[in-house]
Amino acid sequence: MVLGTQDVTPVSFWFAVLPGASVQLDDLVAVQTRKPDGSFVNFYGIVDHVRTRHEGVTFDSDVQDVAAGLLPASVSYAARVLVTRVNPENFIPPQPGDGVRHARGDDLRMALSADKMGEKAFPGGLLADGQVLPINYRFVNGENGGHINISGISGVATKTSYALFLLHSIFRSGVMGTGASAGRALIFNVKGEDLLFLDKRNREVESREAQARAQKGLPDHRYALMGLPVEAFRDVQFLAPPRPGSAGAAIVPHVEQRGEGVTPFLYSLREFCARRMLPYVFVDRDASVNLGFVIGSIEERLYRMAQGADTPYLTVDDWQPDTEQVLDEDVRFDEMGSVRISTFAQLVAYLEYKLLDANDGEGDRKWVGKQSPATLQAFIRRLRGVQKHLTPLVRGDVSAEQAARFRPDPLKPGVQTTVVDIHTLSATAQMFIVGVLLRDLFEHKERVGRQDTVFVVLDELNKYAPRDGDSPIKDVLLDIAERGRSLGIILIGAQQTASEVERRIVSNAAIRVVGRLDLAEAERPEYRFLPQSFRARAGILQPGTMLVSQPDVPNPVLVNYPFPAWATRLDEVDDLNGRAVEDIGEDWLH
Amino acid sequence: MRIRLDPWPVDIEGGQLTLEPFDGTLIDIETPRWAAIPARPIPRQLSTVQVVDGKRRMEGRVFVEDDHGNVGTGGFGAYVVGAVSLCPHGSRAAELLDVRATRVLAHAPTLKLDATSLSPRNPHTGTLLYNPVPTDSADPMAPLHRLQALMLDAEQTLSHGYASLVPFEETDDREALTSLTLQDGTLRRGGATLGGAVVGYVKTMQTQYLSADRVGLLSDLKPGERTPILHMKSETGRSTRFTWYVRLSGAAFYQHPMSGVMRLEMYAPPEPDFLPPTVREVANLSGTLLMRLGSHAHKDPRAPQNLIPTAALEQAMGRSMGSADLVTRRIRAHIAGLQGVA
Repeated sequence: MVLGTQDVTPVSFWFAVLPGASVQLDDLVAVQTRKPDGSFVNFYGIVDHVRTRHEGVTFDSDVQDVAAGLLPASVSYAARVLVTRVNPENFIPPQPGDGVRHARGDDLRMALSADKMGEKAFPGGLLADGQVLPINYRFVNGENGGHINISGISGVATKTSYALFLLHSIFRSGVMGTGASAGRALIFNVKGEDLLFLDKRNREVESREAQARAQKGLPDHRYALMGLPVEAFRDVQFLAPPRPGSAGAAIVPHVEQRGEGVTPFLYSLREFCARRMLPYVFVDRDASVNLGFVIGSIEERLYRMAQGADTPYLTVDDWQPDTEQVLDEDVRFDEMGSVRISTFAQLVAYLEYKLLDANDGEGDRKWVGKQSPATLQAFIRRLRGVQKHLTPLVRGDVSAEQAARFRPDPLKPGVQTTVVDIHTLSATAQMFIVGVLLRDLFEHKERVGRQDTVFVVLDELNKYAPRDGDSPIKDVLLDIAERGRSLGIILIGAQQTASEVERRIVSNAAIRVVGRLDLAEAERPEYRFLPQSFRARAGILQPGTMLVSQPDVPNPVLVNYPFPAWATRLDEVDDLNGRAVEDIGEDWLH
Repeated sequence: MRIRLDPWPVDIEGGQLTLEPFDGTLIDIETPRWAAIPARPIPRQLSTVQVVDGKRRMEGRVFVEDDHGNVGTGGFGAYVVGAVSLCPHGSRAAELLDVRATRVLAHAPTLKLDATSLSPRNPHTGTLLYNPVPTDSADPMAPLHRLQALMLDAEQTLSHGYASLVPFEETDDREALTSLTLQDGTLRRGGATLGGAVVGYVKTMQTQYLSADRVGLLSDLKPGERTPILHMKSETGRSTRFTWYVRLSGAAFYQHPMSGVMRLEMYAPPEPDFLPPTVREVANLSGTLLMRLGSHAHKDPRAPQNLIPTAALEQAMGRSMGSADLVTRRIRAHIAGLQGVA
């Protein structure tokens, strides 16, 4: 019953839990109140506070007398509700004494606005009492809103797991309708080789789900409750950078655990120039304004230089490389007397020559422009700094056929999910790859439009789009955040601390998810969408539990989501593909 | 000069100690040896102790003209009696029993009135029903006295209803003491016929029953100890009681030495020839029981005499009568409604 000793408002109220009944945090409840004219108003809400106390006693020490059986007292069990919906929208307060009931069935649908979502709802996890949380797909795919942002401490908040669960749910729940095969995902693997087994069944999922089912007293395992198949991701391609080695060596993916099915990826030097990738090498464009000009003009020069041929390498005829340098950089002269640039190091050496050495130290005037030697030196110095990291990725020592085969293409026909493993790369190289891939994707989508939604899963947004500073990668991410939803690019971004990510990226996410947070972090303005009580709770969330906020439901909802059905480590891979050992044995015998 | 405090708050009339001399007769019924008797443990079979109390409130004095043209005084009032039931061994939680307010419209005997129901403006808050009760006289104080009498009767009925019977015959051993009732204040005349094991506990000492040579023992009692049981007959001879004193707590140096002492009484037959074993049993355990029930000074200004369950009961009774302000307002609104001005 709604309490009369606390203020009752249309947005929040307390209710007494009668003896024998029980209410926990995050339970959804419904109240009906009757207006003087006889019509009814329904309130739906979520319990965000529960407490018990002795009633009718005055002193804290009275509890001893009550426990000793001397002092009669009643236990007052009360809960506070944050209203998520009022139907019809008639913002009168409920009356003290109105009955409060658990929201189930139709009430639950109303409480979570599932009626508004209709066909476009997909399961986002299970509520505390085992009911399914619907998420409005219209707020994911860009129709009404787009993007998902997930915050939480690494390791405990399991941000990536939840992002993958959402993807699985979107792909397999049928919410994408007829275009189900058209949806794609581009996932960046930033730590360990966790995501390189997405296409393998997890051998622990059955036992873990059975355990969770028993623990929570659920009627069925969690995948079944949500109507999702227990299966690994389908049609996955894995891309990994080539193992660093001497030029000309075999190109093999740089992965440790997974032996097969991983394709190395690289860009040819010509692509690097022709597709204007140079800016993505520089993370801190705003280090000086002049440097920005240099990058811009060199980018343009390289672009022009790359025109006219389609070999992976570049040829120049105005370079007489220093023979000392040549020795260790393996420069090749071809028949025509021109020089072939076939490694990134050589490209840097060439640029150094053009900017600093040519013309007796004056540099090629056309290339230098009016920049001071100091700026040019800074430019070269930076390039030298990243040279080692980019050499395996940007190369001219491959055949044209190899260059085409190893070019990363997240939109390759027949592939739904692309995992790009960048965890072995240095920070600069990671930025480069993310920036270039997203830029390509964005430009592609600008041409073809919004059909075929592409979900981009990117952890550590604070690295790619920090609040302060400026970088080409941040520009791409901002473009995606602000215009991507109309083009069908949906960013599922995650970070430890939303306060360190560019505000426009976080604020553009329609669905916001919070796992375990540092309590100081939780008090920052980025988390104001969480009511105070939820902010406090974000500090104690367990792995597998998330607070999900979506536009249709004004208050966040706590959900837990099932153990991944796909392997997240080599030792989780189910070699038997879900079958018992005996069955496999049978196959062999026959 | 030596000054010591009465421990009770100054706004309680008379304080804990007034001490007027007693003119009735007292007989040593237990033992002629006037010395402290130590407390005994509470026997196993005594499983229930009820603490009974009552409260009344006059909510509005009225002048009434009934439909037959009779005029007289009356009063809207409410009383409530109730009990806390507890196990003296602490084996279960204490609970409130029968705490329910009764509302009456006490009126001069000449009037003929129907029950009055006061409806609230907000239908969520229920109605108040006042049943008419005629008083004995047309005296303006009569409604209050009637109310008080109704409350005391209800209290007494409640007390005896709960308690085990006290056998007054030496040969009678029908019932063991399993249920004891503590009732606030002295026992009422007429209750003896109801025969329950009811102990009246008198929190204040208004009458000095003991002679000067015996009073000293009260100061010397240690917590839990009691005096021997006396048979007491009032000066009019109409009421007879067994009575004894028990100390609940030691007196602080600044308090008068009788603070922490309480007088208990039980019904007694008029002729002092026999002390029922049940009475002795109750006296023996009274120190142990009351020390357990006694309150502490920081929680209750009338500690330790005002027992923990009584304090809780008083609060619950006050609540069951509802807010006096709201009831008075409801009465006023009702009268306004009768006169057609609301």
